[in-house]
Amino acid sequence: MPVPQQLARGDRMGRGPYEKSGLIEDTGLPPGKLVKERFEIFYPLEEVEVNGKTVEKPAAYDLDVEVKLTYLPFGTPNSDPFVWKEFTKRVSISQSGK
Amino acid sequence: MNTMILRGGLAAALVLGVLTAPSFAGKAGIGWQETIAAKSGKAKTLAELAKMYDSSSCVECHQEQHDQASKSIHSRSLFGTARTAMTIMTTIENGLMEEPYSGVKSPKDVKVEHLMGCAKCHLPQLADAEDSVAQELVSTLYGWKEARAKKDKEGAKKLEEKLKSVSINCLVCHNRNAITHKWQDGYPKAGVVYGSKDGDHPSDKFPKMAKSPIMDQAIQCGQCHGLGPNLELDEPTQCCTSYGSYLWTYKAEVGQENCQDCHMKNSKLGHNIQSYRDAAMSDKAVEFKAEAFGYYWRDGAKIRPRAVVKVEMLNKAGHSIPDG
Repeated sequence: MPVPQQLARGDRMGRGPYEKSGLIEDTGLPPGKLVKERFEIFYPLEEVEVNGKTVEKPAAYDLDVEVKLTYLPFGTPNSDPFVWKEFTKRVSISQSGK
Repeated sequence: MNTMILRGGLAAALVLGVLTAPSFAGKAGIGWQETIAAKSGKAKTLAELAKMYDSSSCVECHQEQHDQASKSIHSRSLFGTARTAMTIMTTIENGLMEEPYSGVKSPKDVKVEHLMGCAKCHLPQLADAEDSVAQELVSTLYGWKEARAKKDKEGAKKLEEKLKSVSINCLVCHNRNAITHKWQDGYPKAGVVYGSKDGDHPSDKFPKMAKSPIMDQAIQCGQCHGLGPNLELDEPTQCCTSYGSYLWTYKAEVGQENCQDCHMKNSKLGHNIQSYRDAAMSDKAVEFKAEAFGYYWRDGAKIRPRAVVKVEMLNKAGHSIPDG
């Protein structure tokens, strides 16, 4: 979103039209420009004994990934979210191999 | 002796001036006296302001457009979703009352000029009202808030309706704000509805129609959906910046469509002008693609399985998202 600058000076974000008179940055989607985001999520690991040695193995081999593009005009993601686009997928990794 | 005669002449001219324009300051341009506001004189009550820009007769012939417009938040621009009403009070308390040179120590000190930071867009016709209307609005807002706090649903509803009695209605767009370049195109005249055609208009109150030079142009909307800070005000405010975004990013680098193309025509919403909460707008505004996969990532002897999520978003709107 356009992050408003308080009274058009300094490094503080303004809140309310009476305070806003500039921009610090715009984190929104600019028109016509492809915006790419990449996220990495590590699988949870747990320590297990294998042949007398302690090794780390995945605690789960499936992750349910949920991506939400949320329009958040006011408040917090929990107060008044407007989920614009949504993507869900179960991402699995192999349970055997070298 | 001559000096005394001159003084007498000046006094007579001043008295005449007061009689002919009792409550409306003159403007430099030609024809401003033909505007609705100049002909009516400034409104002294909210009811008078509502009457000055009363567009209830439009529905007699323009039922479809009326029904569409009534679904748009423009039809309750001062109240909004209630958040607008609350923000005006926040502006009074956290803005005006905290600003040492505003002249506002309590809500009772609020004048039209103080409210124009909000009203420039939420109720532009407030500029055509006396300070008594600003006070009536303020007392209505606080009365509504108090009624809500007391769970007085009926009282709150009554005051809510009063706040909704003035809005961005037909006459604001099709008369008052239908001409931006008034020295070039003339001031909008009382009795004229501005749209796409010139000619007679079958209405007692508005017997003429005239082509607005900007009705199908982005600047019509840009009057409110702004460039950035409203620097013409003694205390600048800022809400929407979408017209600025439209000009400097969309027009500069992307395309040639305008506000009306997307929000009225392509969406088929007509006068039901909507934004992100309407599927007709949001579906077209953003292309969204996502993919996800997992693999075993390895850093030397350490193995850390990870999921990778890639998201691509393309904003197809004519302005930054979010904006307003």
